[in-house]
Amino acid sequence: MLTPAILIGAGQQTFAQSGEGAMGTNELLLIVILGMVLLVSVLVLVVALYMVQIIKTIIADDKKQKALAAGLTTEEVEAEKGPSVLDQLMKKLTRSVPVEKSETVMLDHNYDGIRELDNHLPPWWKWLFYITIIWSVLYLLVYHVFNTLPLQHEEFNREMAKAEEARASRMQVAEADIDESNVEFTEVASHLENGRKIFVRDCAACHKPDGGGLIGPNLTDEYWIHGGSINDIFSVIKYGVPQKGMIPWQTKLNPTEIRDVSSYIVTLVGTNPDNAKGPEGEKYVPEEVESSEEEEEENDDLASN
Amino acid sequence: MQLEKFTYDNKIVKYFAFATVLWGVVGMLVGLIISIQMYYPAFNFDLQYTTFGRLRPLHTNAVIFAFVGNMIFAGTYYSMQRLLKTRMFSDALSWIHFWGWQLIIVSAAISLPLGYTTSKEYAELEWPIDILITVIWVVFGANMIGTLLRRRERHMYVAIWFYLASFVTVAVLHLVNSFELPISFMKSYSWYAGVQDALVQWWYGHNAVAFFLTTPYLGLMYYFLPKAANRPVYSYKLSIIHFWSLIFIYIWAGPHHLLYTALPDWAQSLGTVFSIMLIAPSWGGMLNGLLTLRGVWDKVRVDPVLKFMVVAVTAYGMSTFEGPMLSLKNFNALAHYTDYIIAHVHIGGLGWNGFLTFGILYWMIPKMWNTKIYSLKLANMHFWLGTLGIIVYALPLYASFFVQSSMWFQFNSNGMLEYDNFLQTVTQVVPMYVFRSIGGLLYLTGACIMSYNLIKTAKQGSFVANEAAEAPALEKKEITGGYWHSVLERKPVLFTVLSLVAILIGGIVQMVPTFLVESNVPTIASVKPYTPLELHGRDIYIREGCNVCHSQMIRPFRAEVLRYDPVDMQYSKAGEFVYDHPFLWGSKRTGPDLHRLGGKYPDSWHYYHMWDPTTMSPGSLMPSYPWLFEQMTDVSLTKRKISAMRKLGVPYEEGYEEQAMADVEKQAQIISENLKNENIEADPSLEIIALIAYLQRLGTDIKVKDELSSNE
Repeated sequence: MLTPAILIGAGQQTFAQSGEGAMGTNELLLIVILGMVLLVSVLVLVVALYMVQIIKTIIADDKKQKALAAGLTTEEVEAEKGPSVLDQLMKKLTRSVPVEKSETVMLDHNYDGIRELDNHLPPWWKWLFYITIIWSVLYLLVYHVFNTLPLQHEEFNREMAKAEEARASRMQVAEADIDESNVEFTEVASHLENGRKIFVRDCAACHKPDGGGLIGPNLTDEYWIHGGSINDIFSVIKYGVPQKGMIPWQTKLNPTEIRDVSSYIVTLVGTNPDNAKGPEGEKYVPEEVESSEEEEEENDDLASN
Repeated sequence: MQLEKFTYDNKIVKYFAFATVLWGVVGMLVGLIISIQMYYPAFNFDLQYTTFGRLRPLHTNAVIFAFVGNMIFAGTYYSMQRLLKTRMFSDALSWIHFWGWQLIIVSAAISLPLGYTTSKEYAELEWPIDILITVIWVVFGANMIGTLLRRRERHMYVAIWFYLASFVTVAVLHLVNSFELPISFMKSYSWYAGVQDALVQWWYGHNAVAFFLTTPYLGLMYYFLPKAANRPVYSYKLSIIHFWSLIFIYIWAGPHHLLYTALPDWAQSLGTVFSIMLIAPSWGGMLNGLLTLRGVWDKVRVDPVLKFMVVAVTAYGMSTFEGPMLSLKNFNALAHYTDYIIAHVHIGGLGWNGFLTFGILYWMIPKMWNTKIYSLKLANMHFWLGTLGIIVYALPLYASFFVQSSMWFQFNSNGMLEYDNFLQTVTQVVPMYVFRSIGGLLYLTGACIMSYNLIKTAKQGSFVANEAAEAPALEKKEITGGYWHSVLERKPVLFTVLSLVAILIGGIVQMVPTFLVESNVPTIASVKPYTPLELHGRDIYIREGCNVCHSQMIRPFRAEVLRYDPVDMQYSKAGEFVYDHPFLWGSKRTGPDLHRLGGKYPDSWHYYHMWDPTTMSPGSLMPSYPWLFEQMTDVSLTKRKISAMRKLGVPYEEGYEEQAMADVEKQAQIISENLKNENIEADPSLEIIALIAYLQRLGTDIKVKDELSSNE
């Protein structure tokens, strides 16, 4: 299937961006590598032919010198030499009249001194033309008469269905079951680091890289518009608050990522960055005992400021 | 047979040649400047007249219509007189043509930076200039036909066929694509909307490349290359076959610029197959050029004129192979919107057009000044600088395409986009942009060296303004029979009519059904006309050339809907553009697609972003638009815009004009208040308010329908 699809220039899905992530790139990479290999092979072939030609010229030259030394005339030497394989192939492909015999195909045209020859159309060129025409007819038949290959709308639907399948099978993995009802704050350093990366990439535009708030509210104080528990934060990130411009991230971030970034945001509370936005919403006091200790420390910080 | 004495007009050729060099250097310089702006946006000096969006059309117009255009005229006037053994029909027409064309160029150079643009690529000039172009083009045609009728050579040489076909086709292209409704001096709306406008535009855009950058230059090649090499043309048969197949097939290929867009599938497929069938006809020209050099390849090694021409013809072969490959939909999916296209057009522009121009100039100037090239050494240096320039220009852009395209389509193991921030994919290719500028600089340096060399050449020779020539008069006798094509070659009017028929077929087959058959553009009930304030905002968007860097066409790929519409996963539908006069799909994504931008960010985000894009997206390479925060929206044309749109088929209620002004103020007030809630004080009559109104509307109508259907 792959080969005819490529021949016909079809099937965006066949490589480009097929299936899931790495696979698509791998296939693309494969094509590129194959292309490179082909290119290099052609180059090597050209160089090899060129080398053969040079060696031949040297040998011929050597022979010629010897023949001349033996007393033959230049014309006789030239006549002795038959046409090479390459020359013969070229002749077959172009059917051109040799330069020396140009006069035999010279037309009586003379435009400001420009003459015209009446050489045949190069056969390889003619065949190229015929092949492209046949290819074109096939292309139209395949797509619009027999409907063998999908048009763009159908192609899109198939691609989305395939992605949906992949997503469904991914969701079966246990960790993906995290949602706003069962999410828990994670202290694991690698999780928080991942959360930080996501925050800088996706959230910083509206909440500032330090979380101090810009268009979006300040995430470093104790005031929350939609609640400050890890569950609330998770929920706001997941579903967004579209009427206020906060976009839903559930299609861009997976549950683990949302947990990581939610946890990272929790760690921002109390960092008290410069030029932070004023408080909005209600004050949120964590219920757990451990965090109230943290809060005391924060209060100390504030006092010392 | 009596020999008649007459003279060739060299002075007009000299003027056109001078204009070629002058505008060439100017056009390339503008290109260099905007290439630097792509990684150093402050290079526009925060002036609205020098932003990328306004200068890029200036660059393309300057190199296409000023540099290449003047060379076409210089070469045509030089070769036609000699091929037809007569002086040009009318000196007066020649000079009207020359000064008229320069006037067009100067008006373009003034009006484009001022923001007067139709937004349609390579047809950006506004309606008064369009009319001027039409008049001057007719003058050129009349002069050419007149010369043909007074010829002393019975048959037309292949170069003339190409000139004639180019003349009629460009006339048709320009007239059809420039159909627009003026609403004031220097402002008009395209007659066509959305999908139809896109089809017409790319039928035009593609064939501007075909019949302005290609066929006239093939004509020039057929004259100057055999002259410079002093060899007979390889094959007369090949000339005939490749000429007719080229002009017939070329005109069909436009839709390959719109693969995977909202253009109907059948039109896209026609674009693809005709592009593939174009390989052989295009290569026919290359073969006839290169094979004409059989027997003089030793001369090519030493003669800069032939060297330039050989590289030009080879570059022509390369880009006419690239073109069809880019028309295959699987490759196009990856390459469209990327720097591949920029590299491709510059292989054609710098290689084919530029190098053929240089070759011709190095041959023609010494001839007209009766001398030899001032310095062969400098000419050779120019050749190597130019060749190196093309390589250093194109290779990094191919690399940029590869990197950026793979990033756009890269998913991670979670099925999400690996690089979901578009900016990441831009900063990745910035080093390539720097190399591209270096390539451009090398090429421009070469062109400057040529200017010096040519001036010196002219100084050391003596100009022959009226070159004496003689030829027998054409006998008035009935000639019948002969090879069918040679019959055509002695009937210029019939020949012109036949080429007109050949180029009309493709356009008609593609356009008529797209305009008349409704199923080609399925309507969407929830798509409503723009509000008057949004219309004003849209006109600001057009003025600033936002469409130069941002597309408004999300293709039906998972990677694109996920990037641009992660919530609803909607790609762009034909029915969404029915009120877009003109369409604004764009052709390059230097920035992200904007079609689903509406409602994505709060008004304040746009406010900050337009003031300084780096505040909202750190590292952004978009320029700032501070003048939008000072200039007031020009609302004086509100009524006229509404009436004009209604005339074009946009269903505003009868008499809505009277209410439009009130609606403008109302909507502006709402946005201003939204901003106030975010502690931003903004006068509702500022341009930024109108622009925000338009940006927030983009691509949102289709979502209204979703809500309705889910309520049902």
